[in-house]
Formats: sequence, C-alpha cells, structure tokens
Amino acid sequence: MMPLNFGTIADSVISLPEMQEYVHSMEMSSDSLAIPIRFNFLRNVTVEGIEPYLKYHCYASGLKPKITFGDYGTIRQEILDKTSHLYATSPDIVVVSLFLETHLPNYFQSDWRAASVINDLQELFSSIAANTNSIIAINTFVPPFFTDFGIANTALSTNRYYEVLQLNQLLRSFVQANPGRFVLIDWERLLRLLGEGESMDYRFWYMSKAPFKPRFLNLYALELVKIAKALKGKSKKCLVLDCDNTLWGGIVGEDGIQGIKLDRHAYPGVVYYAFQQRVLNLHERGVLIVLCSKNNEDDVWEILDKHPSCLLKRTHLSAWRLNWEDKVTNIQSLAHDLNLGLESFVFVDDNPSECEVVKSMIPEVTVLRVPPRLHRYPSLLDQDGLFDTLTLSTEDRQRSEMYRAEATRKHEQAKYENIDDFLGSLNLSVIIHQAKPDEVPRIAQLTQKTNQFNLTTRRYSESQITSFCDAPDWAVLSLSVRDKFGDYGLTGVLIAKRETDSGTIDSLLLSCRILSKRIEVALVLQGLDLLEQKWPVKSWYAEYIPTNKNHQVEKFWQQMGFSELSNDNGHARYRLVSGAPRHRPISFITIQEKRDEAEGA
Amino acid sequence: MKQKVPEQKLRELLSKIFEVPLNAISENASPDTIETWDSLRHMNLVVALEQAFNVELSDDQVVEILSYKLIKIVLQERGVEFT
Repeated sequence: MMPLNFGTIADSVISLPEMQEYVHSMEMSSDSLAIPIRFNFLRNVTVEGIEPYLKYHCYASGLKPKITFGDYGTIRQEILDKTSHLYATSPDIVVVSLFLETHLPNYFQSDWRAASVINDLQELFSSIAANTNSIIAINTFVPPFFTDFGIANTALSTNRYYEVLQLNQLLRSFVQANPGRFVLIDWERLLRLLGEGESMDYRFWYMSKAPFKPRFLNLYALELVKIAKALKGKSKKCLVLDCDNTLWGGIVGEDGIQGIKLDRHAYPGVVYYAFQQRVLNLHERGVLIVLCSKNNEDDVWEILDKHPSCLLKRTHLSAWRLNWEDKVTNIQSLAHDLNLGLESFVFVDDNPSECEVVKSMIPEVTVLRVPPRLHRYPSLLDQDGLFDTLTLSTEDRQRSEMYRAEATRKHEQAKYENIDDFLGSLNLSVIIHQAKPDEVPRIAQLTQKTNQFNLTTRRYSESQITSFCDAPDWAVLSLSVRDKFGDYGLTGVLIAKRETDSGTIDSLLLSCRILSKRIEVALVLQGLDLLEQKWPVKSWYAEYIPTNKNHQVEKFWQQMGFSELSNDNGHARYRLVSGAPRHRPISFITIQEKRDEAEGA
Repeated sequence: MKQKVPEQKLRELLSKIFEVPLNAISENASPDTIETWDSLRHMNLVVALEQAFNVELSDDQVVEILSYKLIKIVLQERGVEFT
C-alpha cells in the first residue's frame, strides 16, 4: 500500500482514520525490507496522540517503528529503574517531551530564573545519556503566549516570557556542546510555523494534559522521523538537476544566455536564483551536485561560466550528463560512476513526464518536480530532511573536493591498460589504527550511511562506538586513505569483539569512494595483524548479512581465505584459523599505523 | 451548517479509529463494548470527527460522546443529517 500524500505545511492533511488504516495495513504486512526503529518517550505530558503520525511517517520512509511510552511524569524514576521501558526496549531514540508547567513547581511564580533551571535539566538529560546508548531528542519549551504583566511586561527586565526564551537558548547551547548524542526538536520553531491556534488544544490540555493539536503532532513526528532516517542510513547523498526551467527559467537552446530567466532581484529569475542558493548550501553540507539534462553541453557551460547571476559553477559539480540520452540511462550511469546506490539520489525536473518516467523506471530514486506554484520552489529541498545527517563531519565538508580528485583519477586511469599498474601509480597510502576519540563521530556516521561495501550493516550511534572503544573485549579500527591526487579521509571501519580464544568481526565497511582499489584487503590483513598483537586468538569468525544493497560483498570472506560454516537464507557465517594463509598482501599499498607527526594530524 | 452524510461514513470512521471490524460498530457501541475505546483513542475520535464533519465540539460534547448513539445525537445537533 502506497502512503497517501500527507502534506507538510501548506498542503492538505490526510485524515486520521485514513492514516490509521494505512498504518494498520503496514503492521499486518511483513515487509522484510523495512528497517526497525525503536522510540521510547519520557514525558511529563500526554503525548500518546503522536503515535499514528509517527508510525505513518516511519512506514512511509521504509522504517518499521516500535513505540513505547514511559509513565506520565515519572522521568527520574524511569532512569533509576533498570527494569523500565527505557532499558527493556533498548530504544534507538529516547524522546523527552517536557513541559515546564508540569516540570517546575514554581513555574507560575515570577521569581524563577532560566539560569537556575538549566542545571537541573542538563543533569536530567546527562543521566539519560550516561545510562543508555540512545540518541536523545529533547525539546525547547513552549513560551507563554500572553505576558504576565500585560504591556508593562516589556519594561520588566525579568519576566516569565523572557526567561523561557532564554532557557530555550541555553538548551540550544547544551545540544551544540553535545553533538551526536542529543538532538533538539525545536518546539519553539514548530510553533512559529503553525501558530498557537493550529498547535495547542487547550480542551485536552485541561482534561488530560494532552497539549497538542494534530498538525503540531504531525510536525513533531516528522522531525523525529528525520532523526530516525539519518540514524538508519536513509539520508540522500546526491542531487541530480535538470537545467532548463529547473536551474533557470526558459530554454537556453532557444532563449540564449540573454533570454533565460535568472536574476538576483527580478521575478521570476530571482526564484531560480534562490533555488540555486539552496543547492549551494547542500553542496557545502557534502551533498554531491550533478547535472542531467537534454541540452547541448556548450550552452550549459556558457551559463555556468558566464551568466552573472548563475551561482552554480562547474567546480560545484561532481559529474554531469548533458546529452540527448534518456534520463533513466543517464541516472543509472551516474550511479555507477559515482559508486552510489540509486536510493541515495534525488532528481529534480520541471517536466512532469520526465519525472513520471524516472519514478516508474527507477523507483529507488526520489523524484521532485519543480512546483507549478513557482514561489514554493526554493523551499522544495528543505522538506522532509532528505539530506539530513545527525552531525556534519569534516569529511562532509570536504566531500566535493574529494570527488573532484576522483574525477582526475578516472581521467588518469584511462591511460593505463592494466588496473594494477594504474593502482600502483596512485601511491596509495593507508593508515590503520585503533579509533581515536576525535574519529568517533565520523565512524558512527559511516556505520549509519554505508550501504554497499558493508558486510553486516549494523548501524551504531556515537555513544555505542565510544563504548566499544572503551571495552577491553571490543576493538574499533579506523582506516584513512591518501594518494597522490588527494586525501580520501576516514573511509573504512573494522569493529571486532573477542570471546575466550576467538575473535569475531562484528562490522567491516568501506565508504563507496575508495572501492575497487584493493584497500579492503589491506584493512582486513593489517587489521587482524594489529588485533592479534593484543588478542592472542586461535580463530576469527565473520558474517555476511545480505541486504538489498550489499550483494557486491557476498563472496568477500571467501576471497579473504575464510571458510563458510553455515548459510541461513544468505546470512552466512565464516571462520578463519589464525595463522592460516590469507589473501596475499597488496604490494602497491603503503600501510602506516600512526598519523605522521609531520602532517600535523 | 447543514450537511447530509451517509451514516456508513460514521461507522467506517469509528472502525478505523478503534481498529475494529465494521460490524463491531453497532448502535450500542461504547467503551463497554469496544476494548480499544480508551481515553487516548477517545481524543483521536474527537479529532477525527472534527476533521470529517468540519465542526468543533464543545468541551461538554467532548466528554459526552461516549457511545455511538450519543455521537450521532451530538453531530445531528451540529447540523449533520445522516442518510
């Protein structure tokens, strides 16, 4: 059953019974591809009303939710009680839904101060962090809609309204100081989007301490699903753009550089200009920007190189297909060249039939059409958190730099007949060592995002990675790669755990941008050597867990010299006796254990 | 505001909200006969009725509508004519 169109802000909303019917049908069906996600709410208000909305958006995003609620107003007890839902359900995401009215006994007295409340809150949130491995979603508070002292309020340096605003600002700082662990659901911002009338239901507030109306619950659920998608590897990585009537108004082949509509000030060109600003913003976040358009290549370059209001330049692009081939073929070949799965692509086009063809031929691709109501176009890419990641790593910000180096490599590769000769010419150098604390966010992000070269596809949060690093019977190895064209950054991870006299490889993954360079072999060979120095184990166990994206590594453990022990519907287990001959070392890769001092790390 | 609505629409709404088969929504349906009709689902019921019939129920009506019969009476008071 396809999800019904459940609009965001301006669009119409499907009814609650329809939504429940969809959720019900999804709960009955056994879609094995849906990824499980567990939420546990800690709250001092009634938020159970969010359940249908949260389930609806989860199922519509390919996630299978399990939602539990702690008892009303018992947050501290739940944290202390090791048998509570908080621990029993091992949630991926702990949602704290907090109202000051029910949290602060003196909320309605005018003498409480944000400064006195924030410590108490930080301590509460930190105790959840200390006791779980979950991502913790906290909220900003609902500021009073009326002032306690009427118009005289503005003359008072301290009043309840300003204190709540200030407290919210302190919460934002708290989350900024603890990235990767805490995520802020900014209720204050959601209230601004909808207004009091569409957000608050005072009937249910006074009857059952249930404060929110459906549209607010819907937005709240959407924000939570954004977190879930980012955590479970569902963020998009590549934006594919058509050109005519998408990057500018008009058709360059007919209207020419003077005639197309693209302008810093004048409508409608200014709308395309604003859209391009959003595209550059995504580029800065590490999203790959790609053109796919039926045009003469030279016409497009003329605009990108010479048009005074064209913000998008050739240097922002990771690849392009400016030709008269059909878009499906072009997008498939882009996916191949960029080493990305089709499910990480978002395609934007103005032509409804092009959109329809791509949608039906390659349903993995998210297709967005330039809205007929053009003023809505600039915010098109902001919706639904398509490209959201939980944090931004250094690698994200450098990504397009890396892909440009990759383009040079590809060009170079054409000069060689033999792949080994080519790889030999790259001066590949890898650094493999036990993960350092500053590498944890990137490692967690890789486990969350990597789909293709990923043997077990286990997703981990930053705190789980940290706890593996700290545990004596676990090890996390990071791999960083460099060659003569540039730095690939931290692009590989091996996680292992030790039993008495054997070791198990829990996770092995490589970012798609370093595939086909035999680096995986270096990682396993060097990784096991390193681990055997500290763990004298007799054998190694490994697994392959199939997903619909990791077929390319199905035979990897055999290639590395492991022998298959069992195979349960594709889920295979392997063993390698320690000291047994392994894959031959790769001569053209230099392996280091430490970062060079000279590099300044 | 007068509106004519097939009664079937009301039954279907309740059946989806409480996740019970349509034939469980009898004239006497109430929290006593429908296990899933708890206080939380009751809020969903109010939201769904308000969306479907484009009315806003008063505080008293929210509390009153504790059976299929009473829902019909309240909606009729608000101008809904069931056919």
